[in-house]
Amino acid sequence: MIQFDKRILENGLPVIVHTDRSTPFVAVNVCYNVGSKHEDPNRTGFAHLFEHLTFAGSVHVPDFDTAVQRAGGANNAFTSNDLTNYYITLPANNIETALWLESDRMIGPKFSKKGLDVQKKVVIEEFRQRNLNRPYGDVWHLLRDLAYKVHPYRWPTIGLVPEHIASATLTDVKDFFFHHYAPNNAVLVISGNIGSPEAFKLAEKWFADIPSREITHYPSLQEPMQEADRELTVYRDVPIDTFYVAWHMGARNEKNFYVLDLLSDILSNGSSSRFEVKLVKEQKLFTEADAYLSGENEPGLFVATGKASPGVDIHLAREKMLEEILMTAETSITDYELEKVKNRVEADLLLNEIGYLEKAIQLASFEIMGDASEINRQGEQYLSITAADLLETAGKLFRKGNRNTLNYLALQNSKK
Amino acid sequence: MSSFRTIAPQVHSVEKIDFVEPVHQLLPGGTSFFTLYGGTQEIVKLDFSFKAGNWFESSKLESLMSASMISEGTTGKSAREIADRIDFYGAQLNSLPYYDNNYVSLLSLKKHLPHLLPLFAEIIQDASFPENEFEIIRQKRKQRAQVDAEKVGLVAQRNFMRAVMGKDHPYAPVATSESYDQVTLEGAKSHYLRHYYSGNATLFASGDVDDSVTKMIVDNFGAGWGTPFPFKKDQPEVQGSEEKKLFLERENANQNAVTIGKRVPTQHHPDSAGLKLVTTIFGGYFGSRLMSNLREEKGLTYGIHASVVSFVRDAIFMIHAEVTAEKTEEAIREIFYEMQRLREELVPESELEPLRSFLLGRMLEDFDGPFARAQSFSSLYEAELEVGYFDKIIHAIKTTTPEQIRDLARRYLDPETMYTVAAGKR
Repeated sequence: MIQFDKRILENGLPVIVHTDRSTPFVAVNVCYNVGSKHEDPNRTGFAHLFEHLTFAGSVHVPDFDTAVQRAGGANNAFTSNDLTNYYITLPANNIETALWLESDRMIGPKFSKKGLDVQKKVVIEEFRQRNLNRPYGDVWHLLRDLAYKVHPYRWPTIGLVPEHIASATLTDVKDFFFHHYAPNNAVLVISGNIGSPEAFKLAEKWFADIPSREITHYPSLQEPMQEADRELTVYRDVPIDTFYVAWHMGARNEKNFYVLDLLSDILSNGSSSRFEVKLVKEQKLFTEADAYLSGENEPGLFVATGKASPGVDIHLAREKMLEEILMTAETSITDYELEKVKNRVEADLLLNEIGYLEKAIQLASFEIMGDASEINRQGEQYLSITAADLLETAGKLFRKGNRNTLNYLALQNSKK
Repeated sequence: MSSFRTIAPQVHSVEKIDFVEPVHQLLPGGTSFFTLYGGTQEIVKLDFSFKAGNWFESSKLESLMSASMISEGTTGKSAREIADRIDFYGAQLNSLPYYDNNYVSLLSLKKHLPHLLPLFAEIIQDASFPENEFEIIRQKRKQRAQVDAEKVGLVAQRNFMRAVMGKDHPYAPVATSESYDQVTLEGAKSHYLRHYYSGNATLFASGDVDDSVTKMIVDNFGAGWGTPFPFKKDQPEVQGSEEKKLFLERENANQNAVTIGKRVPTQHHPDSAGLKLVTTIFGGYFGSRLMSNLREEKGLTYGIHASVVSFVRDAIFMIHAEVTAEKTEEAIREIFYEMQRLREELVPESELEPLRSFLLGRMLEDFDGPFARAQSFSSLYEAELEVGYFDKIIHAIKTTTPEQIRDLARRYLDPETMYTVAAGKR
């Protein structure tokens, strides 16, 4: 159970406070309801590029990083398809430095042509390092493009192509800020060694006078129901054949998320999972086999993937994995498996209550989805799942026409 | 907007870090047992460390394979039975090989320990090394090595280590994935039998370790196991390659990796704490000289880092970055330019003062909570250092002068002595 208090400032900013006296630190975490899904399809990668730009200083602060260092703190940020999250951790008695910086980031970054030009280069290097110059680095570009035809989850957070990042202008950047960065489109979470009354007082001092802004809401694009299975085969300069199979599932805040998370656990979490026991160890079809959820807030993907053992035909291996998934979904979960899941959920939730920063990030993410208190309902969500739920959800997920297969094959093997 | 925003809030410096040592007892079987009680949840972490890493191998990959095989079966239980039990109680079991010491860890809810500790003991004391599992793991590791060989970053770093230490040195990585065909089940198993015995082990228990938990641990691990092995090894000669510049060609790369560095004194040397500070200024944090120049000023890279990698018996100063292929020469030039600048100019107080506060904050973090403290003390003891080492680091952070920094840079960061390894497109 993660205890917290919540208030909403007059400008619309929700403030959440979680007290943890076991650490000498506090975290100040500001999460904005803007991710790559809010981007123009011809200007992808923008939310992430923008995150980089905000570190170059703001209206009243010449240099973010030095200010954080001077206070003994550390700071960072990440952007996902759904949101942009900034955090500063520092000794509790220096909390005002973090509030000063994060409130100023919300008031407005210092935009400069030079800053933009440099960060465009940095982000393109990041694109190369993570996606273009790494074996299997473009898998998610291919898979998203295959699975989504309409919804903006079609592109990864880094962007569709480096050219989109290269073409960003200072005007684009300013527009983006004023359409998305605002107290009424964000969540502030303060966690760690501080009591609620003091935290609320300080939040009020630093954030209350930031005016709320008109937020641009893009029309929410629904991915139409997929009618026919899709398959794409690519050859790349990689040493080992692999595949990714993805099915459309429901949203993060629906029951189906918990049901499928449980299914993916039974399939591939831990050495006693079905994939590990049957596909890796007994049948020796794979050296690695995995099933997981892409995990976005809006309807995401259920993914199965694996690297075939030497000499095993990748298509045969894939069919065997699909058989195993269907069999698992269609046979009832045993009492033993249910108890195992219950124990795992209990342990994982307790472990999640250790880090003050991790708790702040999770609280913010649940609040962006609609309600921070959902964080404490995860346990009961998992525990209420029955074999019938699994069967019903799997029936929908694995229906004919809902499947996207990416065969990612080694170039050298194609020449044989 | 109110004018109070133009003035930075007052900051307080880190006053006190709690270096209270963990409670120690020597178990009858010779295991050095430390407990660190604390935390807010009913969770316990056990970390075994054995002097069993690469340093102690008789041939390459034995340490890695023996660590991987620990939970793959005991005389009485199959790999499957072990996995079932660990997963059933929602616990996490990890066996990790390193250069000096190897680790075996269990993270569990306190209430499940009566079910898990006997199993954990069985795994550590009586692993059976079944052949079927050995082959499966060998294939998996080999495939991973094949993929790693396509990553320019790893290619540069590994070849750098081979160049600096000599390819046969225990700290030098293997050349190719084919090395995995050489390691044998017998080799891995005898590595385990020689080095994973009670007298060669240190155990840290952290978290909710009350008297009942301590008693359970002593019941399961106190008596000792295995046969002491008279390990003797002469310090192997470091045979750094004559050629200090290396280029590993990868024709399809569109980014090149660069690793630059050399051997430096270990943590036992009086210069070590100061050299860590110099390395941080140079490339050890976001505001470092290298990040400011190559990333924030020129946009040549997504990230560039300098660090001192400390082994028990050696230490390596290392700079690493991945840059656009065409800009490789420019990046290398800028790295050496910044190195030279540290040797010639004094670091201004405006740069040094926030860095001192930043590093004290990181030090405080290293002791935040029982698990972080266990990690810090475990590294300290592995390196055979006294607790006073932490004070030495703090002293260096607080008092090293710009002149001392320049002198350390002159002593250790001489461009002439550096190895430069690049991987990618020429």
